[in-house]
Amino acid sequence: MAYVATRGGERAIEQAERLYREQLGTIDAARVQGLRDALPWLIDRVMGEASLYDADLAALALAQAGGDLYEAVLLLRAWRTTQPRIAIAAPVLQEDLFTHRRISAAFKDIPGGQILGPTLDYAHRLLATDVLGGADFVPVPVTPAPQAAPAQQPSLAAWQKAMGLVADPPRAEVATDDIPDVTREPLLFPAARAHSLQSLARADTGGVLALGYAAMRGYGNAHPTVNELRLAEAEVMVRHPSGVSFSAGRVKVSQAEVTSKGKSGQLELGFCATFGWNEVKVIAGATLDLNAGGAEKGSAVEEEFVLYHTEPVESSGFCIHFKLPHYVTFQSALDAMRGAAVADPAKEEVPA
Amino acid sequence: MSLSNLTRPWAAFSYGFLDPSAKREIRRKMIKAIAVPGCQIPYASREVPIARGWGTGGLQVTLTLIKPASVVKVIDQGADDSVNAASIRRFLSRVSGAGETWDTLAATIVQSRHRIPEERLRDDQVLVLQVPNPEPLRPVQPNMSIARQMHADADYGRLWLVLYEQMVRSGRIMQGAAYPALVNGRHVMTPSPIPRWDVPKLNMARHLTFLSAGREKRLYAVPPFTRVEPLVFSDVPYKVEDHTRLTCHRSGLTGVFMNEIPQAAGGSVFEASDSHLGIKAIRRAEGDAAEIGPLWYQNGEFRG
Repeated sequence: MAYVATRGGERAIEQAERLYREQLGTIDAARVQGLRDALPWLIDRVMGEASLYDADLAALALAQAGGDLYEAVLLLRAWRTTQPRIAIAAPVLQEDLFTHRRISAAFKDIPGGQILGPTLDYAHRLLATDVLGGADFVPVPVTPAPQAAPAQQPSLAAWQKAMGLVADPPRAEVATDDIPDVTREPLLFPAARAHSLQSLARADTGGVLALGYAAMRGYGNAHPTVNELRLAEAEVMVRHPSGVSFSAGRVKVSQAEVTSKGKSGQLELGFCATFGWNEVKVIAGATLDLNAGGAEKGSAVEEEFVLYHTEPVESSGFCIHFKLPHYVTFQSALDAMRGAAVADPAKEEVPA
Repeated sequence: MSLSNLTRPWAAFSYGFLDPSAKREIRRKMIKAIAVPGCQIPYASREVPIARGWGTGGLQVTLTLIKPASVVKVIDQGADDSVNAASIRRFLSRVSGAGETWDTLAATIVQSRHRIPEERLRDDQVLVLQVPNPEPLRPVQPNMSIARQMHADADYGRLWLVLYEQMVRSGRIMQGAAYPALVNGRHVMTPSPIPRWDVPKLNMARHLTFLSAGREKRLYAVPPFTRVEPLVFSDVPYKVEDHTRLTCHRSGLTGVFMNEIPQAAGGSVFEASDSHLGIKAIRRAEGDAAEIGPLWYQNGEFRG
């Protein structure tokens, strides 16, 4: 009878999905390639949050999601989790990075030099409206420097450690294969250092910025100075079962180190790195890392608070889940509310 | 001997979507959860192709349990054809080849968001409840690492205090759904936001219940024949929703949990929340031989 006829959920969801996909039209290889070429910074951001380094898949996810970043990251994460972990790469050392851009705000000049690299930092943000009128925007070619900057740069923190400015924290020797992996183990607190840095690496850019900015404005206890910011490429060195180490390719990485004077009388460092080039995220993330030490439980810069609330897939998913029907829980609350109205606490004798 | 002889041909996805390493981890955690009833066991909680907060925890447990011979029922707020339930059920059968059903009696696995069916579950059935927030202490302690310590210490005083304050302020306990319950006399759990009506169905039940929160990465279990006691004061009895005297305006069912449907002309009508039970009752009234199993509640009273 009418009971079933009034619903029909299965047909509704199918048509709703069609309606969405119809707007996006046919997705072909050319569209995916076009997105990859046109939006490298967006591709980088998505690869970082998905913790999956594959520009083609990232572009495909963006095409499928029509540019909805949270949808794109979920698509990639859901794909990533089904893939086997076939090898664990050797740790990437700062001095081995092929550095495109490296700046420090802490000193006017640093050993190895400041390398501006590709940036819009000093550009005037003017819309090229002529493009809409049919006049192409053609970038002016770069004039190469007479002498190329060295591809590899020393770490500034290494110099600071040698000078006794920065404490050299004791390092736990962990075999490469035993490095904790936050995608295969639950995140518990106090978190393993590897879990913290991995969580920051895959955190939501906007979320990290919001909390990092709060810390910078004064809700944190440390004011950051950018010690070193790098955009680079890292060689991914893996070991063949035969024992030979070889490069599986290069990945773009960004990393930021921020510093502030600690209570110990030495400088303290905060660090964040991620796949792809994403300066805002690593500066904000490193600021949060800097503030995490000694932060009060439940404060907006404390590690548990930060890492739980900047997870892009979890936070966005929970936010949109409020669209699901909640009428059973609501009914249960209504019942208690009506019961309370009948009970009237003023008249009711309350057992002690 | 070559590698290709030793391995299976490449496939885009494993059976039941999750890869064997993920399933192995979840199985270990499920066994642990059964061994310590009501205790929240952290697990890695892989991403699955639906959004977090939409049943990913329940889905991972179901995907780990499912086999081709399984028959799954998926309900959301009591309804089988609710859009998200339909989507999850379709996904489950698509990746596993398991059968689908709306009938509680025919199911081997029941995955549910916020309801337990009105027909009694048997010992050959597994109930998987989706959990948004696994932490009963969250209202008094939002920090998970501190709450974990409180569970270790069985430090539940502040939960009792909340209930007491409700009594003082409102003359009754105001907790709606997700009523906290002591499991096996040791761990307080949230039974997920099922109505108070459904909590007694977990106590000394014949079936196994898993509760799994994907976003929060915790799962816990109520094994068969385990005590599940809602937190109550000895002189203030546990009170389920006052639905005993309501009648479903479609099926004529009484003594089951109801949805309230506001009417334009004022007032409300009610319909059975367990939608397929409603359908079966209508079919029977029309002379169909739809079988209705024994219910947990008889004449509005829980039979225990």
